Amino acid sequence: MDTESLQDKAMEIAIELPTQAYFLSGIRDFILNLTKNVTGFSQQWAFRFQAVVDEMCNNAIEHGSAAGQNIKVQIVSQRGKHLEVIVSDTGTGPEKMNAKQMTELYKERRQVTQGEYLGFRGRGLPKIVGEWTDEVMFEDNESGGITVRVKKYLRSEEDEVLSKQSKASNLVLS
Amino acid sequence: MTQVQITMEDVAGAPQGRTVKIVQIAGQLDESNVDEEAKKIYALIESVPQGLFLIFDFSMLEYMNSKSIGYLTDWYSKVSASGGRVAIAAARGNILDILQVVGLTQLVNAYSSLEEAKLAMNQ
Repeated sequence: MDTESLQDKAMEIAIELPTQAYFLSGIRDFILNLTKNVTGFSQQWAFRFQAVVDEMCNNAIEHGSAAGQNIKVQIVSQRGKHLEVIVSDTGTGPEKMNAKQMTELYKERRQVTQGEYLGFRGRGLPKIVGEWTDEVMFEDNESGGITVRVKKYLRSEEDEVLSKQSKASNLVLS
Repeated sequence: MTQVQITMEDVAGAPQGRTVKIVQIAGQLDESNVDEEAKKIYALIESVPQGLFLIFDFSMLEYMNSKSIGYLTDWYSKVSASGGRVAIAAARGNILDILQVVGLTQLVNAYSSLEEAKLAMNQ
């Protein structure tokens, strides 16, 4: 199926990944190319989704699943409309939490002012995933783990803003 | 393990009491390699107890995850606490984007070129 025939159909891809960080670079490359070439999102959003998926998968591997198991990654997109990523862990990781606890932790960390935050961890889901998606949901899944579901709607006005920002040069950001 | 290469060099002509170094990180920093690679930066920071002015040349950095941003924040805290400074130079658009979204560019100056960063650190 070529990219043109995907235009009006919802695309759904499911991947299982072993719980090893080694495989994350492969999924990042896949998401980057898929987002750029198939979903209708811009290159900048493709890079952003690369980070979003990496953070979601890493959380599922590091916190939600024991070694030797698999996490599930689903990508759903309708070209020009939205991109949804769903990552499920097995609930066998070192830090057992349910969806309600995870939702509370997420909300708490979202409120931290990042410019003043000097901590080592806690930027992945609350900032990278939270800022670059429109919806974030945590659900308990059948295997006893947590499923994280994020969705981003394509809005052309956001790309126009990004395009202007990326053209700015010689900036010292502080 | 994801490919990454870290190289370090001294910058000549620094004012007295200041040691200016460039750390170039090429490739991708992610969960598979960042803990190991971070040790090299900690060793560098420990080797200059006072007045370290550290420029991270990100021109060849393709990806960094939230944990590597956590390390960068920690290096900033350590270097600042011992009278030094940290700057970022020549970061690609996607790297600058992720540093901005987590608020790191509110802490650390990001220069569009290595030359600008060197000039700022030598002033």
